Amino acid sequence: MAKHKTPLLDQLESGPWPSFVSDIKQEAEHRHANPDGIEYQIPVDVCDDLLGLLEMSYEDGETHWKHGGIVGVFGYGGGVIGRYCDQPQKFPGVAHFHTVRVAQPAGKYYSTEYLRKLMDLWDFRGSGLTNMHGATGDLVWLGTTTPQLEEIFWTLTHDLNTDLGGSGSNLRTPASCLGQSRCEYACYDTQSLNYAMTLEYQDELHRPAFPYKFKFKFDGCPNGCVASIARSDFSVIGTWKDDIKIDHDAVMGYVKGEFAPNAGAHSGRDWGKFDIEKEVVALCPTGCMSWDGSKLSIDNKECYRCMHCINTMPRALHIGDERGASIFVGAKAPILDGAQMGSLLVPFVPVEDPYDEVKEVVENLWDWWMEEGKNRERIGETIRRMSFQKMLEVTGIKADPRHVQEPRTNPYIFWKEEDVTGGWERDINEFRKRHQR
Amino acid sequence: MAFISAGYNPDKPMEGRISDIGPRKFDEFYPPVIARNKGKWLYHEIVEPGILMHKAESGEEVYTVRCGGARLVSVTHVREICDIADKFSGGFVRFTTRNNIEFMVESKDEALKLKAELNSRKFAAGSHKFPVGGTGAGITNIVHTQGWVHCHTPATDASGTVKVVMDEVFAEFGAHNMPAPLRISMACCLNMCGAVHCSDIAILGYHRKPPLIDHEYLDNLCEIPLAVAACPTGAIRPSKTEINGKTVNSVAIKNERCMFCGNCYTMCPSLPLSDKEGDGLVIMAGGKISNRISNPKFSKVVVAFIPNEPPRWPTLAKVVRQIVDAYAKDARKYERLGDWAERIGWERFFEKCDLEFTEHLIDDFRDPAYYTWRQTTNFKW
Amino acid sequence: MAIDMSTAKQQVVDFCNSKSKTKFYFNDFLKVFPDEKARDVKKVLTALVQEEVLEFWSSGSTTMYGLKGAGKQAHSEGED
Repeated sequence: MAKHKTPLLDQLESGPWPSFVSDIKQEAEHRHANPDGIEYQIPVDVCDDLLGLLEMSYEDGETHWKHGGIVGVFGYGGGVIGRYCDQPQKFPGVAHFHTVRVAQPAGKYYSTEYLRKLMDLWDFRGSGLTNMHGATGDLVWLGTTTPQLEEIFWTLTHDLNTDLGGSGSNLRTPASCLGQSRCEYACYDTQSLNYAMTLEYQDELHRPAFPYKFKFKFDGCPNGCVASIARSDFSVIGTWKDDIKIDHDAVMGYVKGEFAPNAGAHSGRDWGKFDIEKEVVALCPTGCMSWDGSKLSIDNKECYRCMHCINTMPRALHIGDERGASIFVGAKAPILDGAQMGSLLVPFVPVEDPYDEVKEVVENLWDWWMEEGKNRERIGETIRRMSFQKMLEVTGIKADPRHVQEPRTNPYIFWKEEDVTGGWERDINEFRKRHQR
Repeated sequence: MAFISAGYNPDKPMEGRISDIGPRKFDEFYPPVIARNKGKWLYHEIVEPGILMHKAESGEEVYTVRCGGARLVSVTHVREICDIADKFSGGFVRFTTRNNIEFMVESKDEALKLKAELNSRKFAAGSHKFPVGGTGAGITNIVHTQGWVHCHTPATDASGTVKVVMDEVFAEFGAHNMPAPLRISMACCLNMCGAVHCSDIAILGYHRKPPLIDHEYLDNLCEIPLAVAACPTGAIRPSKTEINGKTVNSVAIKNERCMFCGNCYTMCPSLPLSDKEGDGLVIMAGGKISNRISNPKFSKVVVAFIPNEPPRWPTLAKVVRQIVDAYAKDARKYERLGDWAERIGWERFFEKCDLEFTEHLIDDFRDPAYYTWRQTTNFKW
Repeated sequence: MAIDMSTAKQQVVDFCNSKSKTKFYFNDFLKVFPDEKARDVKKVLTALVQEEVLEFWSSGSTTMYGLKGAGKQAHSEGED
């Protein structure tokens, strides 16, 4: 028998898509039945009370949660987010319901042995409700009380060799695509760079010293499966400099219909016979491809590696061998000056252990932003306020036409004195020798 | 419920403390076939919706079965995932950026068996636990935020709106019948902790009323300078006000400057802004992340406001359906939703999707607004 | 850094006590030490957190520093 009636939420149990309401109910029942005899460290009816509180929000059309707080583990400024409900008498199980962010393995592979241990810990000391995973990438554990935080951290670090993730004005938990582990498009080992950068910058991740949050995301290719160009202050996207490799026999395989185009991604509809001219050559945004009826040619110098042809014929076309990455800086969600995507800062950087070239760019950016950034200003906004040129200066990178979509349309260049022959100091009397008053 | 300590001593927090160790190393958790072939994959194929096959130089194949799920999952549910992984995929499992679950096996037979098994598992009330799909030119899982489940500034619920929309597009999740991948994302307020600004379709919670001011308690619960500093538009200033004949310190808000972000409420619980009538949803469309064919692009606001209609948000589901159907019917193969809208023109987009264009959809927020107005005779009737 | 750690720590505490608010952004402390690098200022703050003089306050999206126990919010949630 459910503790609270939830007629509105119950309507979210119908329909085919997995119902989070059914799952929370399942967990509520599990906690009451407690088949494994667990000595639950937070109220047994925490899931019932969460459903009750949520039902109230569904009635009211308003949230019942309040602000953050001081809670956290000792010495860390992130990883825990305080959460309190505004109806603690009615729903004591969730009166204090703090979030814990746990660092996920890069690429989000797990062994069941490890995953079970994580779940056992959260079952014992928390609500038993999680997000797999949060928007930034962490394992998110929803709801525990303050006394449990240090205990959870102790078990995580001592028994599970796992740390907390980032929150607040910190480096946030970095995230990457699965990269070379299972993808032929990956131009560098995204998981390895992700792991190396995460370990290198543990202090930045746990102890806030930034004006605001800072996110790293690592995409293996321009398809961008972790959305780094939209969702990270520092986005590393795999690329290459040499030629796309062509297997001409396999190209013929596609033309003859032996292989499904785009790896079979369009199999649900009859789009007609594959037409390499129309579907590959004509859609190439740079017009660098041609097909003479038997042979595909690519003018690689003019290719900008959008991935369309490779995605369409993955058996026939392969990324080049001179591989590395491009670095984009400053993506963020809309607050305050509108949404931003990452802007290209480094067109090509080699990505090889120990990744010193990548780290150097990050550290130069941080030194600048930590000194100049205003409170709650993302680095993308600092760049806009202080200019792209300033970012080039602090990172020691030379301006390149690749940095812009197009040159400026106004001539209002802020010339510096040192750029102008003879400087700005002049003698008015000398001027008056040539011009009357 | 006796308190059980794991070993932490609150009197000596630094004693035996381990910190700054980061996550577990990713390669501890590779299935053997992945460990053997990393960096040596040749190509892939989507065998059928929800099943990917990757072929390695060694000749080995890995079959990945992908299934959807709610982002909010219980430990009981995750243990069931572990049981399945133990039975079918050697005790390994992977999660995707879009909250899907992947099991990797070494033959097509095993993959098909696993797919049948996953599709057969249901919650007590009948919804799927692990619907297989989310591949190719279809609609995959929605990335989203916390909403009313766990956040203090949401203008709507995230899990509920996502459930409703995924129910609506369930057939498209398990099929490859879109012109190109269609990515939906959801954020429950304009702070967008789930950055939804580059999605084919974005669902965004939005407040429309400035905060209430709880003058009587404000000075007891909040630090006024922090509340003032929290406002990104400088709409809040300190002020004094009279309550029951007593002058109290409080704040004043210039309502016309409020952009409804809730940052003040974050710092000051005496400035709540949630409101049943005020809050609802904005629909944006036409964004993308991939560089394929066209550049990454932002989503555009196509519906200024949809009221919150819990628990099933019927208007939201209907609007998403209209956009998806118009796109599926009209777009060319490989054409993303935003590329389609640009090709036919946004005036045609509104017509084909049967959406009303209102003045709210014309940008008036700061500098970039001008660049979205039309400065050409090239428009359609 | 140019000045010694104990002087720097005292300056931080004095700064916190001199203001009408109890929570501060990291950047606020840079103004206390205009000649120091941000990374060095961070070391002072980290040491004060370790000594339980300062504590963090987090909204989830931003983090602030404050003297331990100062402010109004902790009390209202019974967390002090």
